[in-house]
Amino acid sequence: MSTRDLVLAALFAAIIVALGLVPPISLGFIPVPVTAQSLGVMLAGVILGAKRGGFAVFLVLILVAIGLPVLSGYRGGLATFLSTTGGYLVGWFFAAVVTGYCSEHFVDRSQSGIVQITGFFLAALIGGVVVDHMLGILWLPVVTNMTLAQAFLGDLLFVPGDVLKALIAALAGRAVMVGYPLLPQRA
Amino acid sequence: MKSLHVEGDTFLHRLPPGVKLAALAAVSLLLFLLHSPLLLAVAAITALVFYAMLRLGWHNSWQRMRMILLTIILICAFTLVINSPMDAAAVFFRLVALTLFAATITATTSTGDFIEIVTKAARPLEKTGLVRASDIGLAIGLVIRFVPEVLGRYQAIRDAHHARGLKPKALTLAVPLIILTLRNADEIAAAIDARGIRGQK
Repeated sequence: MSTRDLVLAALFAAIIVALGLVPPISLGFIPVPVTAQSLGVMLAGVILGAKRGGFAVFLVLILVAIGLPVLSGYRGGLATFLSTTGGYLVGWFFAAVVTGYCSEHFVDRSQSGIVQITGFFLAALIGGVVVDHMLGILWLPVVTNMTLAQAFLGDLLFVPGDVLKALIAALAGRAVMVGYPLLPQRA
Repeated sequence: MKSLHVEGDTFLHRLPPGVKLAALAAVSLLLFLLHSPLLLAVAAITALVFYAMLRLGWHNSWQRMRMILLTIILICAFTLVINSPMDAAAVFFRLVALTLFAATITATTSTGDFIEIVTKAARPLEKTGLVRASDIGLAIGLVIRFVPEVLGRYQAIRDAHHARGLKPKALTLAVPLIILTLRNADEIAAAIDARGIRGQK
């Protein structure tokens, strides 16, 4: 990894941490405010690609593990990994990597804007929603007495919000790519 | 950004960090294998005794724990509705014990010690060629260094929205924030290389 890649990942990790510290922002078209940190995870994949995006999220998770309160709501420390939402937290890493991998393959600079946005949206959907929620659901029965089916039902509550975040990540990812392209291109 | 580490000189502070983390891993495995609410309650009380030895005070502990406590209570309420009260008690004591044990390790281990452990643990990863272990410490330092700058920039973009009578939205905040922040990458990378911080090349 070049020094530039290392710095890009570290800067993005700083952005994800900062997104957890700012007050929740409204998404514009729906009145419900959301915490922006999981949006940051999708953005890391969409903007930096699999390797650097994954490293950025990995750095955030290391900061959590070493006891810095970098998650929204002043959370941090090893306890957050062992709590009920630990699966979603670890899932962030895989979400960023999968989102990044898909983005690199789906999106090409020569495509039209709408195709690029769709590609980014699918990438964020697969990584940030499918992969992350799957790991979150698999972890819940380990710490609680829920069955997988119950965990799945409880999880569904959070799917619409994250689908919306995937859409925002896609729009932002395309806007950043136009202004400052960073995504490694792969056929 | 203030770490959750607490200065002190209890025997927990003096234990090597590797031993503490191994113990935490073993204890959490044990807690997942236990299903009796009674045994789990004993574990939770033991964890509470360890945590109390840190003498953090009620206010400080509440600040640290409130979010996790909230999720624990939600999950227990959910378990109570769909399963039995015994199940809910077991879940409650298991999660409380896990949280307190982990929080105790976090509070008694310094950031420097943790970075050392992470660097050691990452050594085998070097063979994959994905990352160099010493880079992790450097990157962590960079993140901590740049969080306040990103926050300042976020504030500035928000103010710019207000000055123009625009409502801050996720999209119009995130895009300039990301571009402005990442554009510094070349300069920072050049500064790191100029000082030879990463050694070779």
